[in-house]
Amino acid sequence: MSYITGPDVVKYACTCGLLKPISYLYFCRYCTQLRCSFCVCHEVDSNFCGKCSENIPSSEARSKKNRCGNCYICPSCEQELSPRVASSKASAEGDEKVAARKMYYLFCQFCRWSSRDVGIPDQSSVTGGWPERENVHANSLHELLDLDKAIVLAQKQQQEKDKKKQRGKFISYTDRTGVTAAALRKRIGLPADLTHPLLKSKPKEPEPMVARTEVEKLPDDIFTKPINLMEITTINQRLLQPEAQPTTVDKLFPVHKQLSIKRTLRCRTCEHNVSKPEYNPSSVKFKIQLFAYYHVPEVRIVTVEPLRAGKPCELILKFTNPTQHQTTISFEELNLVECSEIEENKFSELVQNLSIQDKQPLSLSNQSSGSLSLSSRSPSIVVKPRTITKSTNCTVEIPTSSFILLPRDDAAEYDDSGDTHSIQDDPKLVKWRKSNKAFVRLTVTPDEGLPLNTEVNCGFVMQHLYTNTISGQLEKKEPQKYDHKVKVFLTLGVTVGSE
Amino acid sequence: MELSDINYDKGDYVETASGNKVCRQTILCGSQNIVLQGKVIVQLDAIIRGDLANVKTGRYCIISKDAVLRPPYKKFSKGVAFFPLTMGDHVYVGEKSLVNAAIVGNYVYIGKNCIIGRRCTLKDCCVIEDNTVLAPETVVPPFTRYGGSPGTCIGDLPECQADLMVDFTRSYYQHFQPTKLI
Repeated sequence: MSYITGPDVVKYACTCGLLKPISYLYFCRYCTQLRCSFCVCHEVDSNFCGKCSENIPSSEARSKKNRCGNCYICPSCEQELSPRVASSKASAEGDEKVAARKMYYLFCQFCRWSSRDVGIPDQSSVTGGWPERENVHANSLHELLDLDKAIVLAQKQQQEKDKKKQRGKFISYTDRTGVTAAALRKRIGLPADLTHPLLKSKPKEPEPMVARTEVEKLPDDIFTKPINLMEITTINQRLLQPEAQPTTVDKLFPVHKQLSIKRTLRCRTCEHNVSKPEYNPSSVKFKIQLFAYYHVPEVRIVTVEPLRAGKPCELILKFTNPTQHQTTISFEELNLVECSEIEENKFSELVQNLSIQDKQPLSLSNQSSGSLSLSSRSPSIVVKPRTITKSTNCTVEIPTSSFILLPRDDAAEYDDSGDTHSIQDDPKLVKWRKSNKAFVRLTVTPDEGLPLNTEVNCGFVMQHLYTNTISGQLEKKEPQKYDHKVKVFLTLGVTVGSE
Repeated sequence: MELSDINYDKGDYVETASGNKVCRQTILCGSQNIVLQGKVIVQLDAIIRGDLANVKTGRYCIISKDAVLRPPYKKFSKGVAFFPLTMGDHVYVGEKSLVNAAIVGNYVYIGKNCIIGRRCTLKDCCVIEDNTVLAPETVVPPFTRYGGSPGTCIGDLPECQADLMVDFTRSYYQHFQPTKLI
């Protein structure tokens, strides 16, 4: 429940040090690490319109400025506009041909704005043909865009040229033969330094804008005329149409609906996908779904006794095993200072390794460096782990024994035979269990001297046995097992007065 | 947080063979047009207007107290026509919410005091927050969180939202137990 609406009371620490609820975390099977949305690469998979659920190819989306061609939103309240059939005006106009055809206008059903308010003529087709408004500055904007493209092209060419020159300094095949390109040119009788004609073409200098010298004077009645606020647009309405920025409501024109995207997420370290949605815009299924919710045991708070400073109280947690494999869970003390130091060391080691890798190609010959950079899968981006800033003000008595969580069984729900498991549990730790769930009793003690109504936070390290089932890894038939550790933070509630 | 048990008086509810739990104090008009697929909970003083058009819900739907399900209408030149209201599996409708939608997808969460306007389409996996007013004929795309009046997109949902909703409605059904007499 709390995942959908409420406050997030149980948070897991991502490998990068951010705290997130389990539903927002991913689990990379290849690195066996938790990943959050900040430590994965986001790639746009497909563009679609949220209203008509139509997929729009990326090139078309780009040319339409990421807006749907058929759907409009209300310029006044940003709700979706729907086409309406106009009532026939046959008798009034006396033209029978017009009456026979259905005419449509756009109408907002929330604020009752309609396309007739601003004088857009009714259209004969439901979907389209709505007049687009030309931007006054469209031409000069186009020119600027073209200029920008030209500059980018010129820069790219310049860079390539520079690269060619650099390479020429170190290795040149013609060095061995004794014939350089320049020498060859001389021999044929061409000028030695010849550059491509395209490279020389510099982008045209833009015409600078000239300020208008004559500015109309303020009309005299501007201070005296009362303003009708109903006719003036709000900031939101103006910013909805950045190119026009209408100041009065009679210039509000329907706006094309912005497109939504589906995105693929990729682990930054190993570049494997952790999430890949299906192509269909209305589908909620995934082709690849490595969410932490499916791989890491879920912790939920069931009950907690009233928290009093310095007094031990009972906390009951529910553990759920989402995987098809049995797992063992044990607890460890959370030590934030030590953890961050270890992470820091790991990171510096990693960076050193990387820098060594980067330096290596220079000493090697050119050919082998090319193949080396291809074969070694060095992490593309190294994310520096942050230290966890969340502080705890409550100690958890770490149980010494561990417990087993049975694999998930979808059929268990229909099984009425009762609990017939044969697991010897520590009765002090495990209170009750059913199929893949276990209710575990822990003792927590809020710190001495906590004032009343303070939020109590505690944390522990959960170690679970993770069974990796990537097929074909290292040619092993048996699934590999790892001990995976997760830092779990709980917000227990507020302290109450002592009795 | 784990849900705590929700107890009801056994005499107040009717439990059907397919597991539907329907309160006796509800207004179900045109009951021959109402289909509850199984394991659906309809709570106190809820109203389902089957007399206007067909109302069909999926499995594991929860219709909370004082919620109203009313099929949408559309005006035509010759009059008004009502359209059926279909609801997917694992849908939660909060207290005092009015649902006028044409289609409610699977795994949808509608909060308290919401008004879902006429002929809205709620796609799979969306959340309508408490006190939202959705304008008529709005389409709510998957994995979005809508809120405010008029309802606009205010956030995204995690990719495992479907499983969260399945877990939520299932555990709600399991915790919805008659009071045990001691």
